[in-house]
Amino acid sequence: MSKENFIEEIRPHDSAYKHVSGFAEYTDDIQEPKGTLYGAIGLSKKAHAIVKKIDLSEVYKSNGVISVVTFNDIPGRNDVGPVFDGDPIFPKNKVEFYGQPLFAVAATSTELARKAVLKAKILYRDLKPIIRIKDALKKKNFLFKPRKIKKGNPSNKIKASKNSLKGNFTTGSQEHFYLEGQAAFVIPKEDNNLLVYSSTQHPSETQQLIAKMLNQKSNSVNVVVRRIGGGFGGKETNFMTACVCSLLARKTGKPVKLRLDRDDDIILTGKRHEFFSEYEVGFNDDGVIKGLKVNLSSNCGMSADLSAAINERALLHIDNAYYIPDIEVTNYLCKTNICSSTAFRGFGGNQGMMVIENIVDNIARYLNKDPLEIRKKNFYQNNKKNITHYGMSIKDNVINEIFRKLEKKSNYKKRYLEIKKFNEKNKFKKKGIAITPVKFGISFTTIHLNQAGALVHIYTDGSVHLNHGGIEMGQGTHTKIAQLVANSFGLPYSLVHISSTNTSKVPNTSASAASSTTDLNGAAALNAVEKIKTNLENFIKKNYKIYNHEAEYKDQYIKFGNRSFEFRKIIQEAYLNRVSLSSSGFYSTPKINFNKKRFKGRPFLYFCYGAAVSEVTIDTLTGENVLERVDILHDAGKPINPALELGQIEGGFVQGQGWLTIEELNWKSNGQITTFSPSTYKIPAVSDIPKKFNVEIFKEGLNKEKVVNKAKTTGEPPLMLAMSVFYAIKDAVASIGNYNIAPKLNAPATPERILMSINKIKNKIKNQNGR
Amino acid sequence: MISDTVKFLLNDKILEINNPDPNQTILNYIRTELKKTGTKEGCAEGGCGACTVVLGELVNGEVKYSAINSCISFVPSLNGKQLLIVEDLVSNDGKLHPVQDAMVKFHGSQCGFCTPGFVMSLFSMFKNNKSYDGELIKDSISGNLCRCTGYRPIIDAAKSLNKVDKKDEFSKNKSKVIKLLKKIKTKNIYINNENKKFFSPKTIKELKNIIKKNSNLSFLAGGTDLSLTVTKERKEISSIVNLKEIRELDFIRVNKNYIEVGATTSLLEFENEIKKYYPDFYLVLKRYGSVQIRSVGTIGGNIATASPIGDTLPILLSLNAEVLIEGINKRKLVSINNFFIGYRKTKLKKNEFIRSIKIPLFKKNIFKAFKISKRFDDDISSICGSFNFEIINNKIKQAYIAYGGMAAVPKRARACEEILKNKQLTINTFIKAKDYLEKDFMPIGDMRASKEYRLEVAKNLLIKCFVEINTKKLTRVI
Repeated sequence: MSKENFIEEIRPHDSAYKHVSGFAEYTDDIQEPKGTLYGAIGLSKKAHAIVKKIDLSEVYKSNGVISVVTFNDIPGRNDVGPVFDGDPIFPKNKVEFYGQPLFAVAATSTELARKAVLKAKILYRDLKPIIRIKDALKKKNFLFKPRKIKKGNPSNKIKASKNSLKGNFTTGSQEHFYLEGQAAFVIPKEDNNLLVYSSTQHPSETQQLIAKMLNQKSNSVNVVVRRIGGGFGGKETNFMTACVCSLLARKTGKPVKLRLDRDDDIILTGKRHEFFSEYEVGFNDDGVIKGLKVNLSSNCGMSADLSAAINERALLHIDNAYYIPDIEVTNYLCKTNICSSTAFRGFGGNQGMMVIENIVDNIARYLNKDPLEIRKKNFYQNNKKNITHYGMSIKDNVINEIFRKLEKKSNYKKRYLEIKKFNEKNKFKKKGIAITPVKFGISFTTIHLNQAGALVHIYTDGSVHLNHGGIEMGQGTHTKIAQLVANSFGLPYSLVHISSTNTSKVPNTSASAASSTTDLNGAAALNAVEKIKTNLENFIKKNYKIYNHEAEYKDQYIKFGNRSFEFRKIIQEAYLNRVSLSSSGFYSTPKINFNKKRFKGRPFLYFCYGAAVSEVTIDTLTGENVLERVDILHDAGKPINPALELGQIEGGFVQGQGWLTIEELNWKSNGQITTFSPSTYKIPAVSDIPKKFNVEIFKEGLNKEKVVNKAKTTGEPPLMLAMSVFYAIKDAVASIGNYNIAPKLNAPATPERILMSINKIKNKIKNQNGR
Repeated sequence: MISDTVKFLLNDKILEINNPDPNQTILNYIRTELKKTGTKEGCAEGGCGACTVVLGELVNGEVKYSAINSCISFVPSLNGKQLLIVEDLVSNDGKLHPVQDAMVKFHGSQCGFCTPGFVMSLFSMFKNNKSYDGELIKDSISGNLCRCTGYRPIIDAAKSLNKVDKKDEFSKNKSKVIKLLKKIKTKNIYINNENKKFFSPKTIKELKNIIKKNSNLSFLAGGTDLSLTVTKERKEISSIVNLKEIRELDFIRVNKNYIEVGATTSLLEFENEIKKYYPDFYLVLKRYGSVQIRSVGTIGGNIATASPIGDTLPILLSLNAEVLIEGINKRKLVSINNFFIGYRKTKLKKNEFIRSIKIPLFKKNIFKAFKISKRFDDDISSICGSFNFEIINNKIKQAYIAYGGMAAVPKRARACEEILKNKQLTINTFIKAKDYLEKDFMPIGDMRASKEYRLEVAKNLLIKCFVEINTKKLTRVI
């Protein structure tokens, strides 16, 4: 094996030129062969009901309709559940959420298909829907039996603590709002094969589910993904679109394109889990947590999907960066009649972290101390207080260092005091500031998913072709992996080409998820590179009688001591000498193990760390607010391409900011969603971002584990930097009661929630004065 | 001369579409017929900007560029214009336009799906302005959503354009394009495609003729609302009359006492004029919608749509504006305070259209307006409040107060006004008056705001008014 050398090279996204010129091709952009049909899905108008009769006669008659499919047309498995059953493609008799697919049509154009599905006449018998967590808890409507994890004896510790607090807290759901909606394009081929283009984060599972649905073998389905227009977890499962499209293609024998309209996309695909927690915490006068008990409930929607893993990650992150000696969490996975909640950047981790951050913030307010101090008091340390509640000892902790640096860099202390002064002088504008930490565990907690494959070819002209199992969804994984491979071969980046992710090139891949795409697939690609290098080196050594020298790949040459060979020429020579210039590569993450039942082990290879300081101004008459300034210091290890990492950090932050401030989903009590388009569901726009935005990558960062380039992923962790925005808002609200009353504020902190929180404090003060 | 052919320039080539489907959107045409897929559909309702294209138009001998949402504009509205799509910004030898180049250099794209829309919005900004400050940049991309980047790199890319040579391929090609635009100088359009009709008259006289001879006409004055019938409700609009080509309806006239605005004057044009007289009106308009919406949306359209959350409406109510309604044979001037008669219902009869709006200039009054919404950019009001006070010697002589989002129609707060009249300008006067809003309004709760919040903020806006009048300082955080 050749020596490891690190890269840190700023380079535009590999598709940047194509992005800006409109030449980057997404699923719906693929030119259709003649005769292609277009699909649309017919949706349920009830959230919970028995379907008594589906009359599709008007649908058949509708202009342009060629074919209609229902559950009767599914020869194999009528389910797209990735782990558990429960996500029927078309339910046979019972609908379980408003917008659940019931049938689909293929027509001569998308417009005609969409018109046709509206003509169905469906007779329902209403059942009572359960929509909210509260109601599911009351009715004990759970997906799985509630589970309890426990370390030590928190009840006793709380009792013995000098101080204790009780409360509850909610974080809201969130729609992914990837700009490219769900889309698939399926072309039937000979031998019943299907060529499937799909906007998915998970081609292998798409392949398997289509095969199962059609009662075929996986080897008859090939899924191809060049890029997707954003995923964020929303395309990790949600296999409905590709499966329905394949069913239509199978039935008609024609190519079929199916692209969900934005409204339908939001209505029928899953979102982030809403979480509700009830807690009791014991702590000493310094704010050091002694014991914690939490009931943690999440709204999982109508099926299991990935809810078990998401709740597990919430439990694994309920400590965030804090050492909690005694802890007990009871976890309720609520089954409700909304679409099945699913993966979303953070994957439960962020919801768990918000629980503890809220508690820490309330402890600080109770003790009338700066929350910064309480946070620092509770941090994991390096040699003691370094074992998590699931028994993993933390060996790479840099949160103390990051916090210290950021506190200084952001001038936190001074601004904290200035803000207090500002608030004394101003009645209608109040400022708030908060600094919050992030510690986020990296690896799929389902251990077998931590594997990846790659396929590398060198052609006789010396150019390199590379495929791996990861999906390019904007994060730049193709760019970074090509950089790694080019660097490893000592070649310019331009000689390495990555084409579409393709299940016939790299099989049995895991979803591009859990922030692991580049870690896993980059390592697999380098493994393939190493194998080719071994072939090459053996050939050169034998052919040129070189002994005792390590090969060095640099500037398009392979060097052995003072002998050097031009890469392009030696490749040709190797070819003529019948040396294999192609190899697959494989990687599986070492060291990790996790006993899910006992909730013990080392589920993560490493942790990512970061911290952010946010300062806000709120309008106490309307609840409107502005994010004045944000300072971020984030650990990216040794970043492969700092520009792309910066993009992930900033973008993740703003997405988290949306989750915790303006993004609010709303369901009527009958289960109908009322926020299903950009006019009713607001993601951050350009004016929402911080007025001053200072983002820095932690220069001392280094991944202690053997990860490609010693980098640390920046996929999910930066989302949670936005917690600082929420607690800055809470800090501003606290000023209303002169910091003596802890505000009651749930996320998202919309202007309305902020105003109501302010009112609660004002009423409290009124009542106190009245007495 | 009447034609059933839509003639326009695709960059610098004349294209003709004979008798198109008048319900087809420009986006659909670009993607399915031109087979150019750089322009994306993100929402089909003008809310995300992924479909942004730029239209060039001859105005006083120069090409004026407008970024619009192609997903909610119909094909016939291309007539006589230049259509620029993202692919056309790349020169023949593959060289990127400076706007595109900046987006690459500053890492302005991640997943890339929103990128063509941003490029087109920035292109329009680049061409229509000489320099680009933070405010202009933000306004220019306020209608473009990006879920990946967090916008910072896009803003930086836009700022870098200040240092770029303004002469681009389009400046070099200008005289040719102007010549071509003159050549295709529009005829009146009349399309009848499978009983879907589209009329585009040039004069009010012609408009009246069309009204006389046809029934069930839908007036198109911007189409940001009308088009959703097709893209969201999936219905057909049988007969569309495009009012945007009638020059007589597109004007702004100012005299001593009032400003008169033609019904199809775009909100973008209007906001720059009204800024001089009512700065708060301007501030609300900035939040009215994106540039793409404001460049096609019209003040007449906003009034005729009569939505309870139409942002200009409470303002016009409190300014006692008048609507000039024109029928086949007569004109009448109606106070806007008598114009809205029910949920999305107005005094406009069939065969009548709005000619103009007259907005009185209260030179001595104090005017305040506030739009409150979850998001600053391109959001729909939870509440919009407008306040017009005549104050003499610290006494409130007259108060005209109106709210949007508080009832089925935009509405004056008569009880509250009454109690304020002839009172001293003190905080107590306002504290007392705000409770009278409960007599004026019984708002509903929806996904934007609860009824409690609406009422509370409506009251607080009154307090805000007092504070701002009293301190002569703005109290807004955004």
